[in-house]
Amino acid sequence: MLSLPELQARFAATLFDDTAASPPAWIRAAGIAPELRLGIYRNNLEAGFANTLALEFPVIQRLVGEDYFRQLALSFLARHPSRSGDLHHIGAPFADFLRAQYAATCYRYFADVAALEWALQECLVAENDETLEPSVLQAVPPHAYCGLRFGLRKAARLLESAFPVVRIWEANQPGATTAEIIDLAAGPEFALAHRSTGGARITRLSAGEFALLSTLATGLPLEAALDASLACEPRFDLRVALHRSFELGVFAHVSLITERS
Amino acid sequence: MPPARLQLARARSPRPGERVAQAGAALSAGVGLRAQHHAEILARRPSVGWFEAHSENYFGAGGAHRSQLTRIRSHYSLSLHGVGLSLGSTDPLNVNHLRELKRLVREFEPALVSEHLSWSSVGGRYLNDLLPLPYTEEALRHTAARICDVQDALGRQILIENISSYLQFECSELPEWEFLSALVGESGCAILLDINNLYVNSMNHGFDAHSYLYGIPAAAVQEFHLAGHTLTRCGGRDIRIDTHNSHVAPEVWELYGTALQRFGARPTLIEWDADIPALSVLEAEAAKADAMMEAFRAVAA
Repeated sequence: MLSLPELQARFAATLFDDTAASPPAWIRAAGIAPELRLGIYRNNLEAGFANTLALEFPVIQRLVGEDYFRQLALSFLARHPSRSGDLHHIGAPFADFLRAQYAATCYRYFADVAALEWALQECLVAENDETLEPSVLQAVPPHAYCGLRFGLRKAARLLESAFPVVRIWEANQPGATTAEIIDLAAGPEFALAHRSTGGARITRLSAGEFALLSTLATGLPLEAALDASLACEPRFDLRVALHRSFELGVFAHVSLITERS
Repeated sequence: MPPARLQLARARSPRPGERVAQAGAALSAGVGLRAQHHAEILARRPSVGWFEAHSENYFGAGGAHRSQLTRIRSHYSLSLHGVGLSLGSTDPLNVNHLRELKRLVREFEPALVSEHLSWSSVGGRYLNDLLPLPYTEEALRHTAARICDVQDALGRQILIENISSYLQFECSELPEWEFLSALVGESGCAILLDINNLYVNSMNHGFDAHSYLYGIPAAAVQEFHLAGHTLTRCGGRDIRIDTHNSHVAPEVWELYGTALQRFGARPTLIEWDADIPALSVLEAEAAKADAMMEAFRAVAA
């Protein structure tokens, strides 16, 4: 008689790997071949996985089509099966999987689109934290601005791509009607995924804004962030960029640490 | 907190030192909570007895769905129903999953907390499905010990639901109802009796559903589930698949009537998890269950 660990290992092996199947004598036939009975469970596994992945990556599904997406999901399942009882986590390695899969092809941009979609998923469930109000800066004397360190909200993700991923993402939203032809060489693009009322959204950033926020996100002070912004965008306007960041609700907290005090 | 008009669910008598589920689910019909209905529930406050949420759908730390659940909870009694704890798995109990569940239980103070008589992972790989156990002494000891671990961690009794299955194992020694009854005895858990799953299994595996109903301890049954299933063909034979995508079948309503006679009224949930209809359709199904409970009470009184 099979022990419980053996039985569960064989059951899973049969579902994950078709070739492992010798006729499973440990299942009662009772009018229906054991292989067919296991096939019901294999269908459940594959459909549950592929459907969840499609909900998490609707733009990738739209780019490749439903049939191909299902094939893609199944090869992803074989390499990256779920590691959690919460199916929502399966999409985490999908962008890297696509990056490896399409590295040397004209579909290299899939990985960046998937990263954008996963960032949205993360923002949807990220911990709630307060949005920093711009009024807190009123108490800061102008000479101290360069030492300000901003913390980003938990529901904010920064992404950059060599491809025009935001345009691709926008053109593949359910409501999008324009059949715009997007030139893949029209990148790079910079994006902020963040939570807003009723869900999560993507906002396009300039190169300077992206440099500013991603430098601040590493914990460096505003002075270093401004240097990074000016390096890639010589006419970068800090005042405008900070105003917009507050409007987008990017910041969670700010602190003033002066190097020499 | 639940409105005062709700009656307490009748829990079975606790054994000395045993922690019993905080009662509070209405002896009425509830509806499975789906995110697409959140806004309508909050705007319209339908006269549904209670809601049951899939625990894993609210594991994320924050966000709109979780905030909406907080608001829904302030108006309705809640049950938390897990699908991913993998109780019957021989992998170590997933402590992260249990921690998330515990956090949710502490925050939402559900009237009932339930999981399945199933397993879903092995070697760290999850199939994210409700897979059947062999009904053996070994599986019984293992699953009972795991249920005790979970009850200890949560500090309360949990309900265990019978699942639909499409195969049986050669090594099974007990019918499911005997396994489930023994599990109640060993672990002190309660039973969430899914009437649809019972019907589906009785047809798929050819046993008498009444033997099942009369084979489990009445006092342990604290909740019923009702859902739709799909009849399909497999290897030239009929097989019923637990799809939760349609109305409750007439045969399942009939079996529910028998269950009411056997167990009395219990909190009864309408589950509909795929091809989810308008909230009003779920309300109508719940009203039907309420009417059957009411008719049962009238006869019993």
